Amino acid sequence: MYSKELVRRQAADIAAAVPETLTQFRCSVCRGVFGSSAELQSHYAVEHPGAVPPAIIRLKLNGCLCEALIEPYWTLQRALQFRFGLTGAKHMCNRGACGSCTVIMDGRAVLACMTLAIECEGKEIQTVEGIAADTKWRPLVESYCRWDAMQCGYCTPGFLVSAKALLDKNPNPTEDECREALSGNICICGTYPRHATAILEAALKIAKGA
Amino acid sequence: MADLAGVNGQREQFRVVGQRNLPGKLSYALATGVAKFGIDYVLPDMLHAKFLRSPYANARVKSVDIAKAKDIPGVADIVTWEDEDIKALNNFGESNDSRRPWLDNIADQEGAEVAVIVVAESEDICEEALRLLDVEWEVLPHVVNLLEGRKEDAPVIRPQVRDAPMFGAPSAGGPTNPPKRGNVAYANMTSGDMDAGFAAADHIIEYDLYMPAFASLLPNPSGSVAWWFDDPYYSEGGKSLHIEGAVKDKNAISMMYRLPPEKTVQEGLFMGGKYCDWGRRKSQEITPLLAKRTGRPVRCVNTREEMFDVIMKQRYIHLKVGFTDDGLITAVDDFSIADGGAWGSSSFGNVGDMTLGPYNTLKCHNINQHMEIVDSNRYLMYISGQHCPFNWDSITVALHMIAEKLGKDPIDIARLNLHGPTSKDDPDPVPSFEACVKKGKDLMNWNWHPSGTKKLPDGRYHGMSFRYQMCPRHSFSSYSCKLEFRDGEVHMPTQGPLFGVYAVECNAMVVAEELGLEYDDVKIDFDYREPFTPLGGGSDGTTASAWAMKECANILKKQILEAAIEYAENPPMPGAVSPQPGPFKGLTADDLDIIGGRVVLKSDPSQGVPIREAAFTSELLAITDFDSQGVPVREAAQKNLFATFYGHPPLSLWATGEMGKRLDTMNTAYCEVAVDIEMGEVEILRFGVAADPGKVMRPISLESQIDQVMFFSQGCQLLEDFVFDERTGVKLNNNMIEYKKPCILDVPRVDREFLETRAGNAAYGANGISHSLANTHLVIIAIHNAIGVWVDPPATPDKILKALGKA
Ligand code: FES
Ligand code: FES
Repeated sequence: MYSKELVRRQAADIAAAVPETLTQFRCSVCRGVFGSSAELQSHYAVEHPGAVPPAIIRLKLNGCLCEALIEPYWTLQRALQFRFGLTGAKHMCNRGACGSCTVIMDGRAVLACMTLAIECEGKEIQTVEGIAADTKWRPLVESYCRWDAMQCGYCTPGFLVSAKALLDKNPNPTEDECREALSGNICICGTYPRHATAILEAALKIAKGA
Repeated sequence: MADLAGVNGQREQFRVVGQRNLPGKLSYALATGVAKFGIDYVLPDMLHAKFLRSPYANARVKSVDIAKAKDIPGVADIVTWEDEDIKALNNFGESNDSRRPWLDNIADQEGAEVAVIVVAESEDICEEALRLLDVEWEVLPHVVNLLEGRKEDAPVIRPQVRDAPMFGAPSAGGPTNPPKRGNVAYANMTSGDMDAGFAAADHIIEYDLYMPAFASLLPNPSGSVAWWFDDPYYSEGGKSLHIEGAVKDKNAISMMYRLPPEKTVQEGLFMGGKYCDWGRRKSQEITPLLAKRTGRPVRCVNTREEMFDVIMKQRYIHLKVGFTDDGLITAVDDFSIADGGAWGSSSFGNVGDMTLGPYNTLKCHNINQHMEIVDSNRYLMYISGQHCPFNWDSITVALHMIAEKLGKDPIDIARLNLHGPTSKDDPDPVPSFEACVKKGKDLMNWNWHPSGTKKLPDGRYHGMSFRYQMCPRHSFSSYSCKLEFRDGEVHMPTQGPLFGVYAVECNAMVVAEELGLEYDDVKIDFDYREPFTPLGGGSDGTTASAWAMKECANILKKQILEAAIEYAENPPMPGAVSPQPGPFKGLTADDLDIIGGRVVLKSDPSQGVPIREAAFTSELLAITDFDSQGVPVREAAQKNLFATFYGHPPLSLWATGEMGKRLDTMNTAYCEVAVDIEMGEVEILRFGVAADPGKVMRPISLESQIDQVMFFSQGCQLLEDFVFDERTGVKLNNNMIEYKKPCILDVPRVDREFLETRAGNAAYGANGISHSLANTHLVIIAIHNAIGVWVDPPATPDKILKALGKA
C-alpha cells in the first residue's frame, strides 16, 4: 500500500485527471447545469441577480492544458482543490505564513493561498503531484522519504515544492541556500534539520542523472 | 526491569531494529501530496456546513431568527440547538465538567461554535447566511486573566460543580480538596512533614515561574466530510455511513450515531500532527447528521483561526524550596494557578502533575502541592501536557537556583537529590542517569559557570542549562496484535488512520527482526477494520506495542516452523507442482530457525528452504494447468497461518502510580545560549540531548521526536504566547502571522547522543522518549545563567531589556 511505484502512478494519474475542456457550466447557487458559459451568465442575471457568476480560468497545470469554472474570489489553493482535484497544495494558515500551499507558477515558487485563481489565467503551474510524477524529480521524493523529512507530512508537499523551485534555479545549492529557500515553510512537527540533508542528497543524484 | 517478560527481550544481535534510512511506509504518499487529510476531501454534489461562532468571550444566545438566512438561495439546511436532531446527539468527548449538550446556546470563548449550523452549496453562502441570522446575544462577564478570575469578587462564569477534577484525587491521608469557590477548583496533595522539612533546611528560596499558553497548532485544520450509502455487505438497519476526517477512531462516530461499527467506514489513513491532542472537533462529528438531513455529502472544516488550539495551559507557579548546605532538598511547597479553560477542557497537565510528577524522582518526601484551577473563557483545551507535563520545570528551575545559590554545578545538585533506581528511599545512583550525564557532559563540553560570569569573544553573555527527566513507561493498555503468513508472505494488518509518528514502521522492524526477514518483507496492510493500532504515547507507546508485536511474531514463527515440519512429514502426492519440503522430518520447531528469509536447521543453517516455500500442505488445489503432454497440473496448497497476541509489557508505571518512583531509563537535555544585553536578543547556540531510550528502535524517528520537542521548547520560551484583549476577552493572535512559530532559520543545532542501557520494560528493553524531553524553562534557565536575571517566557528582547533595567 502506498508503495513508491504506486504513489508515483497515483500522482501521475491525479495530475493528468484535470478537466481539459468544460462541457458543463454549473450554477454555484442552485446547482443548475448549463451547456455554455453564456447560458450560465444569463441564468445568473435572471435568477441570481445579486450573485457574482463564476468565471472560467485556463491554465497549463502540470503540463496539461485545462480549464475550470471558479468563483472569481477564490484563491488558487481553493481552485486546485475544488476544481482540479489537486490536494497537494495544503491549507495550513491560509494567510501566506506557512508555505504549505506552495506551487510553482511560471518558474517561481508562489503561495497558492495568497494568489487569486482568476489572476492565474494562462499561467503555467506545477504542483507537487506534477513534480512527483516527473521521473527527473524522483530522487528528490526518495531523499525526502529516506531521510524522514516529515512526521505528520502535512507541510511536506509545500517543502518539496520549495526545494524543487530551488533546484530549478540552483542545482548545486549549499546547506545555507537550502535553508534560505525553505525559510517560508513552517513545519510544526519540527522536521527542519532533515530537509537540507534530503535536498543535498537529491541534488547530487539529479546531477548524476540517477 | 528490562524486557525480561517477553520472548527474545534480551536479544543481542540486531539486523533490522536500529537501522537508519528505512523509509516510512506512508512517506511517499505524504511527500507527494497523494495523502489526503480530512480537510482535503471533495465530493461531487457536496454541501458545506458552518457553525455560528461567538464574537464574545462569554455569551448566551437568547434567541435566533433564521428566516432571512433560510431564504438565501443556496442554503440547504439550518439547524439550531433547539432542534431534536441536535438534542439527540451524544457527547462522547473528554469532559472535565458536568456534561453539556452537544450544541447549546452558551458560548464560553470567543469563536466557540454556538447555537446554529448552516448548510449550503458553498462555504461563502454559509457565511452569508450566518451574517443574516438575527441573533439576540446576552453578553456575560468573562475571565481571560486568571489572576483576576481567581479573586473572590470576580464574576463567576460557570456555575457547575468541579470539586474533584480528573487526575486530581487527593492523596491518601492528604488534605481533601476544598469545594469549588467562585471560578476556582482545587487540587491539593501533601506528603511527608512540611514543617520538619523546612526546619531541616539551611536555606529556603522562593521563586515564581510563569508558563505561557502554547498553541500546538495541529498542522491540518480539522474537518470531515460524510455521506450515507447502501452497503451491500451490511444492508440491515438502513444506510451505512462513510466519513473521512473523523480521524482518531471512527468507532466514536459509530457510537455517536448509534451505528454498529461495521456500518461506519473511514478509509483515509492520514490524520496529521496530533501532539497528544486527542479531541475531536465539532466539525469532525456533525457531518453525518447534516448529510442524513440533506441526503447529500456534507463537508465541514475549520479555518486556521477557528482551530488555533492550545496544548499547554497558562500557569503561574510559586515555589518555596528548602535545602541543606550540600544542596539536598528537604521540602518543596508548590503553589500554582492553572488555567481551567472553557467548559469541558481537559484536566491533563493540571492536577495530573500532582501524582505523576518529577517530585517522585527526588529523595525528598516533604512535598506540598496546592493547585488552583481557574475556569476561564480563554480556550477549550482538548488535551494538554505534551509540552511540559508534570511540572518538570519547577524542579529544573529549583535545581538551578540551588546550584546558583551554592555555587555548585546543577548536575551535581541533581545527582544528590535523585533517588535510586528502585524507590524514593533507594540511596544508590541511577545508572541510566549517570550514563546520560557522562555522555551529555562530553557532548556539551560541559563546564558550568555561575550566572553572568562568562562573556563570549563577541561580547555577548554565555549561558548554559541542564535538566533530567525519566523516559516514561507508557504501556497503559493492551494491544490486539495479529500477523498473517499468507501465500508465503508475512502481513501485519493495522488500522489507520495514523498520527505523525512512525509507530507502525517500528512494529514492522521488530516483526522482521524476529522472523528473520528484511524490513520490506513485512507487508503492512492498512485496513480501518483491523483492531491493531500502535498508537498511544508516542515513542513509549510505540515500544510498548512493538513489545506486543514481538510476542505475536514469535507465535507466528513457531507456527511457520511447525508448518514446515508438517509439510516435510506429509509431502504432496507425486505429480503435484509444489516446492521441495525442507529436510525437517522428525524434527521439532526447536530444531529450526528462520534466517535470511529461509527456514533452516539450527544445527546447519545452510540447509533449509525459503520461507515462501516452507508451509505447503499435502492437499492439492484444483487443476491449474496442463503440461506439454496434456496431463493436468495440480498445485499443492499453501498453508496460511494466523497468529494473534493480546497484551502489553508489564509494569506500566503510569497505571501503577509508580511514575518517578522507579528510575530505569532517563534522559538529559542541555542548552547553550548567547545573550546580547544591548539588544536583548537571545541566540540558542545549540541544544544537546543525551538520552537513554533503553534501546533505539528506529533512530531517525527518535531523532525527529527530539527535534520536535526541542523546537516546541524553543518556540514557547522565545516566541510564543497566546494574547487576549482583557477588556473584550477576544483572542488577538490566533493566526500564524501574529503567533509566530520557529522556522528553519530560527532553529538551532540539536546534538544528540543515545545510550542503550536496555533497562526499559518494552521491546528489547526500550522505553521510548515521548513527552519526556519537552520543557518550558531550559532556555529560560540558560538565559538566567547568562545574565543573572529571570525573564518569563517567551523571553522576547523587550522583556530581556526590561529585566536588565534597560527599558
Ligand atoms: S496555507 Fe498558504 S502560506 Fe500557509
Ligand atoms: S511534518 Fe507535520 S507539520 Fe511538518
